Amino acid sequence: MEALLEKLRATVGAAHVLTGIDLSPFVVDGRTPEAAVFPGTTEEVAAVVQQAAAAGTPVIPWGGGTAVAVGEPPPRAGLILGLRRLDRLIEHEPGDLTATIQAGLTFGALQAALRERGQWLSLDPPDAGRATVGGLITSNASGPRRHLYGTVRDLLIGLTVVTADGAVVRGGGKVVKNVAGYDLPKLFIGSHGTLGIVVEATFKLRPLPDAERLVAARFDRLKDAGVAARALLASDLIPNAVELLDAAAAAALGLEGAGTLVVGLDGVAEQVQWQAAELASLLEPLGARSVVTLPPPSWTRLAGLAREAFASPAALVTLSVLPTLVVDTMEQAAAAARQRGLASAWTAHAGVGAVTGALLADREAAAVATVLAEWRAIARASGGHATLAWAPLAVKSQVPVWDDAGPAARIMQRIKAQLDPHNVLNPGRFVAGI
Amino acid sequence: MTTLAADRKSALRRELAAIVGPGGVLSEPDELLVYESDGLTLFRALADFVVFPTSAEHVASVVRLANREQMPFVARGAGTGLSGGCLPAEGGIVISMMRMNRVLEVDYDNQIAVVEPGLVNLHLSAAVGPHGFYYAPDPSSQQACTIGGNIANNSGGPHTLKYGVTVNHVLGLEVVLPEDGSIVWLGGRTRDCLGYDLAGVFVGSEGTFGVATKIVVRILRKPQAVKTVLAVFDRVDQASAAVSAIIARGLVPAAVEMIDQLTIQAVEDAFSCGYPRDAAAALLIEIDGLRAGMDLQAERIVAACRESGAREVRTAADESERQLLWKGRKSAFGAYGRVSPAYMVMDGVIPRTRLPYVLGRVNEIVAAHGLRVGNVFHAGDGNLHPNILYDPRRPGEEARVVAAGAAIMKVCAEVGGSISGEHGIGLEKVDFMPFIFSAADLAFMQRLKTAFNPTGLCNPGKVFPTRKSCGEAGPVAYRPHPIEERGLAQRF
Repeated sequence: MEALLEKLRATVGAAHVLTGIDLSPFVVDGRTPEAAVFPGTTEEVAAVVQQAAAAGTPVIPWGGGTAVAVGEPPPRAGLILGLRRLDRLIEHEPGDLTATIQAGLTFGALQAALRERGQWLSLDPPDAGRATVGGLITSNASGPRRHLYGTVRDLLIGLTVVTADGAVVRGGGKVVKNVAGYDLPKLFIGSHGTLGIVVEATFKLRPLPDAERLVAARFDRLKDAGVAARALLASDLIPNAVELLDAAAAAALGLEGAGTLVVGLDGVAEQVQWQAAELASLLEPLGARSVVTLPPPSWTRLAGLAREAFASPAALVTLSVLPTLVVDTMEQAAAAARQRGLASAWTAHAGVGAVTGALLADREAAAVATVLAEWRAIARASGGHATLAWAPLAVKSQVPVWDDAGPAARIMQRIKAQLDPHNVLNPGRFVAGI
Repeated sequence: MTTLAADRKSALRRELAAIVGPGGVLSEPDELLVYESDGLTLFRALADFVVFPTSAEHVASVVRLANREQMPFVARGAGTGLSGGCLPAEGGIVISMMRMNRVLEVDYDNQIAVVEPGLVNLHLSAAVGPHGFYYAPDPSSQQACTIGGNIANNSGGPHTLKYGVTVNHVLGLEVVLPEDGSIVWLGGRTRDCLGYDLAGVFVGSEGTFGVATKIVVRILRKPQAVKTVLAVFDRVDQASAAVSAIIARGLVPAAVEMIDQLTIQAVEDAFSCGYPRDAAAALLIEIDGLRAGMDLQAERIVAACRESGAREVRTAADESERQLLWKGRKSAFGAYGRVSPAYMVMDGVIPRTRLPYVLGRVNEIVAAHGLRVGNVFHAGDGNLHPNILYDPRRPGEEARVVAAGAAIMKVCAEVGGSISGEHGIGLEKVDFMPFIFSAADLAFMQRLKTAFNPTGLCNPGKVFPTRKSCGEAGPVAYRPHPIEERGLAQRF
């Protein structure tokens, strides 16, 4: 290790290599890394990867650390490769509606810079102040507005990565439409640092809407809120967010009601007004007890509500199901927890079928593990899958983080073997043992 | 290209017929000729067999047989591609997907449809239309091209500006893997996939990762209202500036198409769609969505065009006028036939803000090669379609077309663009890949290909630069594709 540290210090400067007690913010699933290194250029990232690979030390890429809990505990924490010094907005051409950004820039800082020129990257993940652009891509983070604007997959048009052998590779480009070569950007979305280290990315942007409004409707039952959501989705309205909250999640937002439907509207003022009026007249006959406009700060809290519901949750799970099965999934999963005497909190992007559940930690890990296994079975029975987005090590040792990828796992393993043959990049933490 | 001995060939033919049925195999040279080209007739290659499977199991058996024989294979849809992507460059088996053309399932509540790859693009919108839905990707060949072909090329169309390209509408694929014919699902019906986004990577892989046999696509609700605006300009640079001005006003239209003077005149001669013949360029701009606020958005577009120097801006008064304006745009291809015996369509993409510069350069380059060019393209996306007009009977003219095309691609690359926006690399552009990708980029892509297609038998000779000559491929005299002749498709 000492020999590697010497090389790293020579590459990036001693001030940018951390060891010992300074590593405490970079603990991964209870395992303290051997060192953390913060390169300042793409070339330095490449050199660091080469040096680590030569020393046989695994590399864990680190942006803001907001998604590092997603994954199996690392067999060896190895070297943390922090990207925080790569934090420039390289290029923003408003007329092209594109921006090229270094991976370590925080999402919040990026949005602030874009907003000054009337544009935005149409993603709204939780932890925007800490989450970085690179982490956003590799963890495929999103939020409520994905209902209308999609996810990273719909917005990322190019990227630069440092590969496992230290080469610098570009995929996609800077233009909004491009079919030359394979779509490498897609490969890295949600890859959790296992195929390369994203150092730079180019996104499609959108103009900021003239107006935006967040409307909440309270129902006596979650099921009723779900029926209302289906009616909304079958209407002419074009909401940018359709969120379902159970009582515990709604309470975290200061709202009452066993089921709450939160709807985001944007566009020119006339569109927002018309849609808000239509929405109210659509929801009232369906049992909405009240339809109120939420204050703007509610937007940023929506994505993290299930997690916020409890001061110290025992686990956070995301379930991907068909949109029509969202409410059934939430209700069945909550009932499964109740049967074991555990409380849970639930939110869902109702139109896209992305459900998030948090479990309250007042039982031993075994009970938690049992409930989580049941949640996974519920998602699978709905044709979907579940991911353990966060849990303490005691739980992770009993419940796999990822679902079984089935026959496609073979292709994923081959991709990993082709692109990272010596298993340097974040090994042992991803789907199918990758 | 492989040459099979006659007895070997007839034995293989019997084996293939046993898989797909006796009516499902072509092997006679005159039958195979139909499959020697796609929409880009500059390139030709003859297969040993064309087979017509009707199930994934058929495809899997054919792939296994091909592996046993070490014979290349390539899937083919309607053959409307424009880069030679579905040509059997090294001989072998063409797997036509045209008999796998069913809509298997539509789930309106979850807004997804499960279709077979041979389904014609427009037939999906027709099938779900009565329920108020449509399939958004709309390549101009959508009357003929198939969803499977769209998957291979990640096809676009005029409305991709707002709605995205094919990959944005594909959730999952059932795929026959090249190496052993195993049948695997990549992605599925839910929006978030588990593990790597294999479906996302498969789309646009130009048939080199395997053969899709089922496809889960998103279908969208038809918008409440649509408005179409025609803006007429005396100078091309004014029209280019208007594109950026519209974007700068915070508008994302569903489509922004540009048509230049040569094209307008050809269209008007042929169809009289109401475009002014003396205009240097026209923009066709469409917005869709809620009825509320639509007039205001249209006013902003009109204002942006006028400030950029439009001499006339008019909004289609009704659906028939709207259809007429789109007819002008969509029939440009047929109209070129009136002014030139042949043309070659380019597909470069550039940042929108570089439109004035690049359009100028395109005109200079084509003129310097002693040729003429018509431009009709997706201006909002920066996706150019210069159509270089020429006469294949004049000696040397085709070579000048190819040289001018290369120079245009180089300019697109130099301004930070791409050599293909929607037609693909295929055979046509393999040698231009180094314009935009380094050796390291290409080596990385090659490794990705190896993960899916380790033996290399699945659609060889495509996407990557190669010094190997492609047999008889290379510039040969232009002739219209059979689908073109029947008026079923155009090229952009």
